[in-house]
Amino acid sequence: MNKYLTAYYNDEEDLLEGLNKIQSEGIKVTDVLTPFPVHGLDKVIGLRRSRLSVIAFIGGALGTLIGFFFQAWVFTVDYPLAFGGKPFFAVPSFMPVTFEMAVLLAAYAIVFAYLIHNNLGPGSKNIIYDERITDDRFLILISLEDKADDQIKEVETVLENAGALGITLKV
Amino acid sequence: MEAKRFTLNKKTWIILLVMIAIGVVSLLYGALAGPGIKRMAANLLLNNYYFLSLGLIGLFFITAHAVSESGWHTSVQRIAEAMSSFIPIGGVLLLVFFLSGGLHLLYEWTNTEQLDEVLQGKTPYLNEPFFYIRTLVFLAGWSILAYFIRKTSLQLDIDGERKYFNRLRVLSAVFLVFYALSSVISSWDWLMSIDAHWYSTLYGWYVFSSMLAAGIAMLIILLYVLMKMGYMEHVNTEHIHDLGIYLFGFSIFWAYLWFSQYMLIWYANIPEETVYFYDRHLHFSGVFYINLILCFVVPFLALMTRNSKRSFTILIPVSVLVVIGHWFDLYLLIMPGTIGGEASGFGLVEIGTTIGFLGLFALVSFLTLAKAPLAPYKHPFYKESLDYHTHY
Amino acid sequence: MYVSPIREPLVRGGKTYSQITKDILAPMAGRPSVYWYIGISLSVAALLFGAWAIYMTVYVGIGTWGLNKTIGWAWDITNFVWWVGIGHAGTFISAILLLFRQRWRTSINRSAEAMTLIAIMCAGFFPLIHMGRILLGFFIFPYPNTRSLWVNFNSPLLWDVFAITTYFLVSLIFWYVGLIPDIATVRDKAKSKIRKAIYKFLSFGWTGSVRQWTRHETVSLILAGLAAPLVLSVHTIVSFDFATSVIPGWHTTIFPPYFVSGAVFSGFAMVLTLLIVARKALNLEEYITKIHIESMTKVIILTGSIVGIAYITEFFIAWYSGVEYEQYAFLNRAFGPYAWAYWIMMTCNVITPQLFWIKKIRTNMLVVFIISIFVNIGMWFERFVIIVTSLHRDYLPSSWAMYKPTITEVGLYVGTFGLFFTLFLLFIRAFPVVAIAEIKTVLKASTDKPMQQDHE
Repeated sequence: MNKYLTAYYNDEEDLLEGLNKIQSEGIKVTDVLTPFPVHGLDKVIGLRRSRLSVIAFIGGALGTLIGFFFQAWVFTVDYPLAFGGKPFFAVPSFMPVTFEMAVLLAAYAIVFAYLIHNNLGPGSKNIIYDERITDDRFLILISLEDKADDQIKEVETVLENAGALGITLKV
Repeated sequence: MEAKRFTLNKKTWIILLVMIAIGVVSLLYGALAGPGIKRMAANLLLNNYYFLSLGLIGLFFITAHAVSESGWHTSVQRIAEAMSSFIPIGGVLLLVFFLSGGLHLLYEWTNTEQLDEVLQGKTPYLNEPFFYIRTLVFLAGWSILAYFIRKTSLQLDIDGERKYFNRLRVLSAVFLVFYALSSVISSWDWLMSIDAHWYSTLYGWYVFSSMLAAGIAMLIILLYVLMKMGYMEHVNTEHIHDLGIYLFGFSIFWAYLWFSQYMLIWYANIPEETVYFYDRHLHFSGVFYINLILCFVVPFLALMTRNSKRSFTILIPVSVLVVIGHWFDLYLLIMPGTIGGEASGFGLVEIGTTIGFLGLFALVSFLTLAKAPLAPYKHPFYKESLDYHTHY
Repeated sequence: MYVSPIREPLVRGGKTYSQITKDILAPMAGRPSVYWYIGISLSVAALLFGAWAIYMTVYVGIGTWGLNKTIGWAWDITNFVWWVGIGHAGTFISAILLLFRQRWRTSINRSAEAMTLIAIMCAGFFPLIHMGRILLGFFIFPYPNTRSLWVNFNSPLLWDVFAITTYFLVSLIFWYVGLIPDIATVRDKAKSKIRKAIYKFLSFGWTGSVRQWTRHETVSLILAGLAAPLVLSVHTIVSFDFATSVIPGWHTTIFPPYFVSGAVFSGFAMVLTLLIVARKALNLEEYITKIHIESMTKVIILTGSIVGIAYITEFFIAWYSGVEYEQYAFLNRAFGPYAWAYWIMMTCNVITPQLFWIKKIRTNMLVVFIISIFVNIGMWFERFVIIVTSLHRDYLPSSWAMYKPTITEVGLYVGTFGLFFTLFLLFIRAFPVVAIAEIKTVLKASTDKPMQQDHE
């Protein structure tokens, strides 16, 4: 994004109201940066529900299978040993480790998926648009790649009417 | 805005009365012909305990939420109250059952002339006078507290006074303390003492967790029935979602306690303890696995996704299966010790008695629902319950 | 979101968003206070004592401990279970209270989770040192080795390895994922270049965009859903260490839920002990209010009562079972040579938490602090009673013995306290102790004064 416009609000309710106004004018808001999760914002921007839970399920299923069958393989095929009168294929004994493996893999699968999907990680080079968005500012970003100069003016007026503060054009 | 009042229509009346009639007929059939009086008595105990416990879970639902100051539950509070109105009726039935010979028929330890050494050692606790004292204290305590909690909850409807809100909270705390002790001890008395030699410290909590999951499932079913009849318009998807989460969570909790008890007994392999599961696995292996599948596997797999918890199309079949599953759980607790592997079975008596009790339970619940508005619209937290979102 | 007016506010002082940021970051800024230096000196001293005890154990051997042939587990396993228990509050608060939609958790979850992580480190240390050869600790993991021998999957001690490891790793990412937005706040507020660079690295490039937040919420909820059964499983598996045996007093089916409840009980007591001091010392009284303390005392009543019922159940069923060894084990607990430990446990765990029913007591910070210490002591003695009194008189009276801790064992325990407080004091300086972003989400709905806007 080389050419864009930022503006901010001081309150999440003003933000939601303003966003509705801006979007009803047919202007597409590229992104909104907020200090905390604002409920209803994802709907205003038009985001789909995150599908991360599918990855957690796959991780959990994989953990269950690996955990269970590894123990079963060790005790029935690779090195069967009799312990305390238990059968070799001792299903109740395998449950705790199976469960822990399921939780471990599910949790790590989803966290790594989340970090990759969000472009987060040590040394990540994400642009920080405004240092106050982690404090008390609600920043909106509008990409102006395909807009001509007069259209930009129009966008600025819409933003002003929607109560946005600190409208700045960045090229 | 007062919620719509509930009226019991003629058709439902007739259906419920027919259900009760089926119950009576199959009990008579069980006693006079066919399977015999012992099996009929065991069925009576099973269903009586089951529906009494569902009533208690209704009361537990209200009181636990009142004490934890939750808000959303107020939207379905009246249904839970309606369930709890079965407590005095179920209590009287149970007492009559014990007094009219049920106790002697099913409980080995009442046969005082033929007690072995172990059971003789238990007579300071397992003797009839003390048993009846405990039973009376529990049933009376529950009924009285249920009455006052319901009364206070209705008084809150008049003007939503803070006084009644606080009183409801105090009564709830009293009930929870009483119930914490009585639910455990009553399950020892009425269920665990059937297998009088056997013992397990977890037993009381295990039975409670079973009834808790079943109670939530029953609450969901009642809610569905009422919504189908055109009532409970204030209930939205979020409330259904929350109930779905409860059903999902408590089913896992039940499985956790089931596994804890089973695994520890299996692992230590002490004959006095393993005999319990040995018998159940030998003669009741079908029920043993059906129980696990219906109470854990089905709700766990079916309710894993968000959408399945939010729509009745999946939630209702699962709830029905869970209610059936925990009925089988009680079946496994009661039948092996009373009528044994050979004589027990699953037939007309079992189905008929259950239908009869279900009819009675539904009738009592519906009659209670008709007495008050379907939502505590002046409860201080009622407005909260109309405006919230479940994010998971 | 509508909130009933009769609910007490969770944030006091009519805060604005930027004030919240400033207040919570304040303890990290500037030079640490004198008290912090005193605290860290004492902690490091304790840690050195522990280091000496480790040296003794490794160099001289496990003979420096007070164990004998009858009592093979005592001080170390007591400490292990006690620390694991303390590590249960953090994840319980963040996972289970989140699922039950208790909003008061937002002020305390961050510090409680940090406490959890440190407590698990302290706990994990004891089984490792008990092996005697701490350098061979990796033997507990199943890995292909030259003996072509695997670990024993039938052993509850091995289940412990998996449970504690999983619990630590999952709690760690749960804590860190929640911390990322707050680290970004620290990054954006940092003045010095080095500080900014460090926190920039740690913040993983958080921008606060709506996409990041939605996924953040989803991942937090799913982690909470995974962590909730995990919390239950950890102390359940710890209880299996005892309950799978056939030793009277150990083998009882109520152990799993009863241990979990006891763990949450002691964990909350430790959170109270720490936070009552921390809220004063760090000027966070408007964020960790009396409501938060009260809510925690209510959790203590609940879990303490469950533990109490479990004690009574165990005692009753021991009699009811008709097994003479069971009966003896419990009579020996209550009236034998270790009766004093039993009655300390009963008083501290069953009687003192019941005092919280009285509103005057649970709103008096000093009294709550004292009771929380009592609970910590009581829960330590609970584990001591379970472990030592069940072992010291076994089936053969000729092998009956008594147990007394040695200075080395005391040193190990004091050393873990040193580790715990050292790391906690460093945590206070390194990261925000209250979840900044989370507390901002409850602010609008739950403040005592409507917020004034500061338009600049």
